[in-house]
Amino acid sequence: MFTYTLRRLLLAVPILLVISLVIFLLVDLAPGSPMSEIPLTVPPDVRQKMIEALGADQPVFVRYLLWLKQFFWIEPMTLFDHWFGTSIVEGQQRILSWQSRSPVFTIIGQRIPQTLTVVGTAYLVGILIALPIGIYSAYRQYSFFDQLGTLFAMIGFSVPTFFSGTLFIIIFAVWLGWLPTKYDTMLEVTDWSSFMQQVKQMALPVMTLGLANAATISRYMRSSMLDNMQMDYVRTARAKGMREKTVVLRHVLRNSLIPVVTVIALGIPSIFGGAIITENLFGVNGIGAALIGAIHANDLPMVQTLAFIFAVLIVLFNLIADILYGLLDPRIRYD
Amino acid sequence: MKLKTLLLGAAAAFALAPAAHAERGADGEVKLTFPQAVSIMNPYLTGGTKDIYASSLVLEPLAGLTPEGVLVPKLVTEIPTKENGGVSEDMTSITWKLLPDLKWSDGTPVTADDAVFTWKYCTDPAGGCSQATKYEGVASVEAVDPSTIKVTFSGPKANPYTAFVSALSPVLQKKQFEACLGAAAPTCTDPNNMPVGTGPFMVTGFTVNDTVSLAANPNYRDPAKPAFATAVIKGGGDAEGSARAVMETGEFDYAWNTQIPPETQESMKAAGKGQFVVAFGTLVERIEMNTTDPDPALPEGERATAKHPHPILSDIKVRTALSKAIDRSILVEVGYGAGGKPTCNVIPGPEGWASDNEGCIAQDMEGAKALLDEAGWTDSDSDGIRDKDGKKLHILYQTTVNPIRQDFQALIKDWWTELGVEVELKAIDPGVFFGGDPGSPDTFQKFYADVEMYANNSESPDPESYLGQYQCKNAPSPETQWQGENINRFCTPEYDALYATLATTTDIAARQDIAKKLNDMVTKDSMIVVPLVHRGTLSAHSNTLGGVQINAWDSEMWNAADWFRVK
Amino acid sequence: MPTAENPLVRVQGLKMHFPIYAGLLRRRAGEVKAVDGVSFDIMQGETLGLVGESGCGKSTVGRTLLRLYDPTAGSVVIDGEDIATLSPEALRKKRPTMQMVFQDPQASLNPRMTLATIIAEPLDEHTDWNAEKKLARVHELMDQVGLNRAFASRYPHEFSGGQRQRIGIARALALNPKFIVCDEPIAALDVSIQAQVVNLLEDLQDRLGLTYLFISHDLSMVRHIADRVAVMYLGQIAELSPRDALYSRPLHPYAQALLSAVPEPDPARESSRKRIILQGDVPSPANPPQGCNFCTRCPRVFDRCRIDEPQLAEVEPGRFVACHLYSDNQTGGQTAGTEANEPTNKENVQ
Repeated sequence: MFTYTLRRLLLAVPILLVISLVIFLLVDLAPGSPMSEIPLTVPPDVRQKMIEALGADQPVFVRYLLWLKQFFWIEPMTLFDHWFGTSIVEGQQRILSWQSRSPVFTIIGQRIPQTLTVVGTAYLVGILIALPIGIYSAYRQYSFFDQLGTLFAMIGFSVPTFFSGTLFIIIFAVWLGWLPTKYDTMLEVTDWSSFMQQVKQMALPVMTLGLANAATISRYMRSSMLDNMQMDYVRTARAKGMREKTVVLRHVLRNSLIPVVTVIALGIPSIFGGAIITENLFGVNGIGAALIGAIHANDLPMVQTLAFIFAVLIVLFNLIADILYGLLDPRIRYD
Repeated sequence: MKLKTLLLGAAAAFALAPAAHAERGADGEVKLTFPQAVSIMNPYLTGGTKDIYASSLVLEPLAGLTPEGVLVPKLVTEIPTKENGGVSEDMTSITWKLLPDLKWSDGTPVTADDAVFTWKYCTDPAGGCSQATKYEGVASVEAVDPSTIKVTFSGPKANPYTAFVSALSPVLQKKQFEACLGAAAPTCTDPNNMPVGTGPFMVTGFTVNDTVSLAANPNYRDPAKPAFATAVIKGGGDAEGSARAVMETGEFDYAWNTQIPPETQESMKAAGKGQFVVAFGTLVERIEMNTTDPDPALPEGERATAKHPHPILSDIKVRTALSKAIDRSILVEVGYGAGGKPTCNVIPGPEGWASDNEGCIAQDMEGAKALLDEAGWTDSDSDGIRDKDGKKLHILYQTTVNPIRQDFQALIKDWWTELGVEVELKAIDPGVFFGGDPGSPDTFQKFYADVEMYANNSESPDPESYLGQYQCKNAPSPETQWQGENINRFCTPEYDALYATLATTTDIAARQDIAKKLNDMVTKDSMIVVPLVHRGTLSAHSNTLGGVQINAWDSEMWNAADWFRVK
Repeated sequence: MPTAENPLVRVQGLKMHFPIYAGLLRRRAGEVKAVDGVSFDIMQGETLGLVGESGCGKSTVGRTLLRLYDPTAGSVVIDGEDIATLSPEALRKKRPTMQMVFQDPQASLNPRMTLATIIAEPLDEHTDWNAEKKLARVHELMDQVGLNRAFASRYPHEFSGGQRQRIGIARALALNPKFIVCDEPIAALDVSIQAQVVNLLEDLQDRLGLTYLFISHDLSMVRHIADRVAVMYLGQIAELSPRDALYSRPLHPYAQALLSAVPEPDPARESSRKRIILQGDVPSPANPPQGCNFCTRCPRVFDRCRIDEPQLAEVEPGRFVACHLYSDNQTGGQTAGTEANEPTNKENVQ
């Protein structure tokens, strides 16, 4: 298993390098200019100067190599310097966002907490809702509950978040006035009342995203359960005289969870990726909102860095999913 | 708060008396929301209005502008004029006197050196300053004494109120930005995000593209202001969400730029929690006519250049007919509601500068048809499309991808089709359209279409530089890498000559007169520019927020020091 | 102890109908009559073979017998209790007396459990033994089925097919059952392994006094192991006879056809063997023909067969046939299997 993991990690290096180049070229070749959001009142020569100040006029390969150096050397070393008080890369230019002139990693650092709390909670809530629904729906296939679960999943699948989110806002914020529509990123949880405030402001985005997540995962859970319920070893377990609870939880569920765990693990990079629409809608201003903002502003360093981090996460979580599969299913062994 | 007031010191003590009824920080928190989040608090490194407005709560210019477009002193004792000797007789210099005992929020005194530094900062060639035009023609800025700033121009400057005027050109603290000159400017993250200023608020927390937290500036020059102890600007989402947060849920006090469809405006007003306010500046949605031939059959380098005049639109009768066929009132109703009004002017304001040209407001379909008949464009083969010499009256009409603009395109296409014109529509990603990439065929400068629609405005109430766009020399062409603001390639010696006189005319009334004439030359006289809608910035504020005075010429938060909570 | 009058297993009028849902609203549109009125007895220590072509319902009989399916009608009395009507908890308590060996040894073992856990699981549930005692029992069982004790902590996928079936048998034996349903226990195995497993089953029967219902489509193997044989066709028993009688002289036309397909080991007899080729397909169990189930394919069909449904009746001593050819001189409707056949000594298959 260890050699396998190591080999996969080593293989990931050239893959990621190629991905980074492809992303860079794609972002660079995409039409648009970092100056397109600047008002027309700014004359062309000033624009040109601004572009030069950004370094955006350099040839593409120079910028790519600089980005590689910044990403793989300066940024990690900056972190190292920060931790150990050294000054290895002091004064060297970090990856700066064209839009805000702030270091990209500082922005990411500011945004990760929001994304992880909101999108992460939504994912967790989605899983916690989805598993029981999926399990019970499969256990009582075609029952009223199963039909209800199917309806729920269909709604979750087919209703886009911008619609469900707006609907929730109108119901819970405008009509009922229970929940805020804008997420206060500066809120610090220090006591009970601020905790309740945090719960309240998370409620709408978590509901919106959780619905979508739960829909997908509950379907996976249900079909996996159904597959396993048909298996002979489940009949064996019943024939053994095991309690129904043991049969369902120990035999069916444990085996059904293997593919579901993999699906869940593969979905984790999307948590880091944030939820572009939902974050925007509720002003969560996490990674997703940062990405879409950067794309709108043609903020190449930001888009490039975020896209690359997502690529790394996806490669990593694919590996984790594979390893998990091996750990969970004794039939699968990597050498 | 009492303690803070006492700490202000003797100098401020006597100023306290007239404002004794108010107290700094008594009204708690004011919450603002912007649909586009604030990226940076330094207006010299951004083109985004959101950033400039946010920074205006902290950084201040020497003088600002009122909603009427009139200069108002901010950090200075009075507005320098020829009369009071502040502006030299030959219009080559202007001298500003700082208020006495003016302090930065960190307690250090504001001096003329700070202004000198600000000028150096923005004019450093490596700095990429986005407000460089504000300092155009400035030969030097010097500190005559610690409280006197003298700005010398390289020649007579008819409008000397550019440098250090309005939120686009505030004074930076030298101490804070000293290490940020030139190429280092973008890397100074902390000063750029948390600048020290003289405004009513100071930054206490900044998260990029998300939230700006502010607190009342303890050293603000009026000890009774601001009424709010803290302020927060939350960014992100969309215009509708921002408007809803003020008008329907009441979570926020002020939402800037809540451009939403007219029917949504109405339903939100019904909630009764707030009101919409509109800042009418000079933003005009217009159709620009191409005077050159964009025919793709022409070789690259000659296509859409002055070498080939436009085969159809070179005829003023056609241009006029196209304008007459449009019902601008319907456009406003469909697209903007309270946030717009029909206009026939490129310079729609401020009062005094706007021409009284209103001839285009009423739609005149019959007149338009008659004009086309007169111009020789008739429907000889009865296919509903006019033709002349075997050539169809076909127009390619491009704009950016934007729901309102696509509505406009559809409406105008209907009217023009009724007129007998075949219209082809095209919508381009705004990033490409305004991106200015010389390699792209779809930029608005290249204008590879017959007509195009977008909005533009003058950044200052005095439209001199704005009107300068239509000079012959500013036409984009292959020689200029397709840069230039005169995208119609409009070129008449009369216009250039009249414009030249504007630069030397100093009398306001005379300047206004010339501006009106120039406006008419590109609009009603030539129909090169077909103005459609005078667009305002729609903002929303809660009924509990008092003191809001919407301003199109300066930051909308220009008088945030006077805002208070309605009890 | 069951006596001749009181068999270990008594099945009466067993029906297992599976509903079919169809249409937009998934209404019940009919049912598959997988088992449609089956009655037989199994004596203590006896092996009853159950044969028939695939889809005839023989596996369903086996599963319904142990109430892995809830029967639609009928009773299954095992060791004095009616399995078909027991409450779930009582049924669970009853489970140790009746076990099953499944067809697919790979699929019937939980892939995420080790051999030891699989075998010990019923012990966890039905005994209060400590871990040591359970492990001792596991080892004992592994010895009994011929598995190396060292394999106890391995997973099912690490074994060969024959070994897996031994695990399945060990698991079935864990709680000392009296009655075991062997549902095609050798069908998924290589021919060379099949004999080993069958011999193991026979050994265990001798040693532990087990009673088997041996379900198979392999007629030769059934001939080898069974004392009596029931032939099923389309959810019903066509003929139930002692083994030798059936194989030498099948009475029911379907049994004749079925057995004519069995190759004879004796070349002389093999050359004279006549195969009866049946025409047509097996009708759908969702829509069985009127009258005799077999009337659509029977080579000796006559008018009555298409009207009346024949009842299983004793036509010769110990031989029960459901066919109108034999019903003239017999009164039908009697329950089969009232005689007690001692298991005969059977030679081992090599």
